[in-house]
Amino acid sequence: MDLLMRVQNPDGSWPAFEGDDPEGCWVTALVLIALRFVGAPPEPIEKTLRWLLHSRGREGHWLWKWKFRTIDRRVQFDPDKYGWPWFPRTVSWVIPTALSLIALKQSLQCCPSEQAAARVHVGTEMLYDRACPEGGWNAGNGVVLGTALRPHIDTTAVSLLALSDDKQSPTSQAIKWLREASAECRSAYSLAWSAISLSAHQDDAAGNRVQRLIDLLSESHSLDIETLSLSAIAIVANEHDANPFEVRM
Amino acid sequence: MKVTRRDWIIAAGAISGSALTYRLRQRQYLRDLRPKRSRVAVLHAEQYSDKLDELIYAGLRLFNLNIRGKSVLLKPNLVEQIPAKPVNTDRRLIGAAAEAFLRLDAASVTVAEGPGHHRDTELILFETGLRAQLAQRKIQFVDLNRDDLVKTKLQANYSGLGHLWLPRTVLASDFVVSMPKVKTHHWTGVTLSMKNMFGIVPGCRYGWPKNVLHWAGIQQSILDICATIRPHFVIADGIVAMQGDGPLNGTDLRLNTVVLSDDPVAADATCARALGVSPEHVAHIREASFFLGSMNSHEIL
Repeated sequence: MDLLMRVQNPDGSWPAFEGDDPEGCWVTALVLIALRFVGAPPEPIEKTLRWLLHSRGREGHWLWKWKFRTIDRRVQFDPDKYGWPWFPRTVSWVIPTALSLIALKQSLQCCPSEQAAARVHVGTEMLYDRACPEGGWNAGNGVVLGTALRPHIDTTAVSLLALSDDKQSPTSQAIKWLREASAECRSAYSLAWSAISLSAHQDDAAGNRVQRLIDLLSESHSLDIETLSLSAIAIVANEHDANPFEVRM
Repeated sequence: MKVTRRDWIIAAGAISGSALTYRLRQRQYLRDLRPKRSRVAVLHAEQYSDKLDELIYAGLRLFNLNIRGKSVLLKPNLVEQIPAKPVNTDRRLIGAAAEAFLRLDAASVTVAEGPGHHRDTELILFETGLRAQLAQRKIQFVDLNRDDLVKTKLQANYSGLGHLWLPRTVLASDFVVSMPKVKTHHWTGVTLSMKNMFGIVPGCRYGWPKNVLHWAGIQQSILDICATIRPHFVIADGIVAMQGDGPLNGTDLRLNTVVLSDDPVAADATCARALGVSPEHVAHIREASFFLGSMNSHEIL
């Protein structure tokens, strides 16, 4: 926590790492989720929230909306439905949008705000707009140059966390896809995200995914910090119903 | 008149080429890195097999490279595993290259990649079989999306980015080998050894995909990255290449070829021609020929 507090940018965003340029990026939403989960003081949380509300994918600007509607139609999507970018001055992508939605929805639970509710609405619409035809999510659009893309496990799991309070049919289709895709998954990283997400949706497969994750961890000789952190969250979320990514509206 | 996907690719290449040319009224690079002599070897291989070990070793010996005691970094093209699509550099070719550099007395060989839009690198390694291949040969893999980063001034200014945070593992390597899959690409015409260097830009900083580079201009970013980290050598996987709607949704094209070169521009020009694409029509290859390597005058070994 000391490190996190020390490296926050003056505009309220967060760098990708200590010593990074002060531009802010996608980790800002992740930090906001963490700050709320551990009960951090309100000031850094409010600054972060303000930055997140002003951050948007480039297609959210009228000029780029016009470009994507008229000149650049190679990748079809609805630019009215925008979310959050990985990095400032770029377009929206699924994971930063999903993480930002989780952070904002958690904020709305304690501090309702019309601005935040409006951004949640548009961001949610963006996720549904970019879903893959077979269910689930790829990195961005579900169809590119007329070709349907295959969903990714982690992207689908994170999106489903952001939509865990939403019972629309694309969500059900994505859960079904995630359940099947994660059944034989041999990556601890994707399995951890699957377990966290399925737990949040109270899906019966969650327990099995956690057990498979534990088995996989015991076989692995080297794991990165991100995978280990997610694995710990997955195990605790399943055993103690304490899920930092959960959204209850 | 029916407009085919190929027409679209050529048109997209021509438009982006014109746009790039428009921006190139002044020299944008800091140093002329063209070698005095560029060499290319086109090796014949009918399939991916254990025979590649000997083939690549023999191919490298043609170049009389001084690898002794050097740290070698192999940068393959790993995107994601798509059944029946030749998207990734084949694991057996990567393994064969690693073995060959060790036989040439490299101090170390590391395989490193930062996949562009898939965050789960471990899943890609497992699904492509590369994890098992490297484990069998005791070769280390580094995920460049999550490596330590160093702020690095770009040695050209086509993109206007000025600097990028780049992985320490790449910067610290003595000998960088770009190992692309030979493919067409719907935005850049082709994706070969120079485009392959996009993969060194870290996702943890710039995201999945590295959308900053797209907005700064794909062709421009390729030039800036390659001016900064110019691959010392290229081993291009054209045994089964991809044509049509690359880099993900094209179809098989059996070229039965592995292209080796000590010049990335010469390698890419050779591979582009093998794909039926004129390198003069690929903006980054044409521009790179003014300061990174040779597009036309190279020696075929």
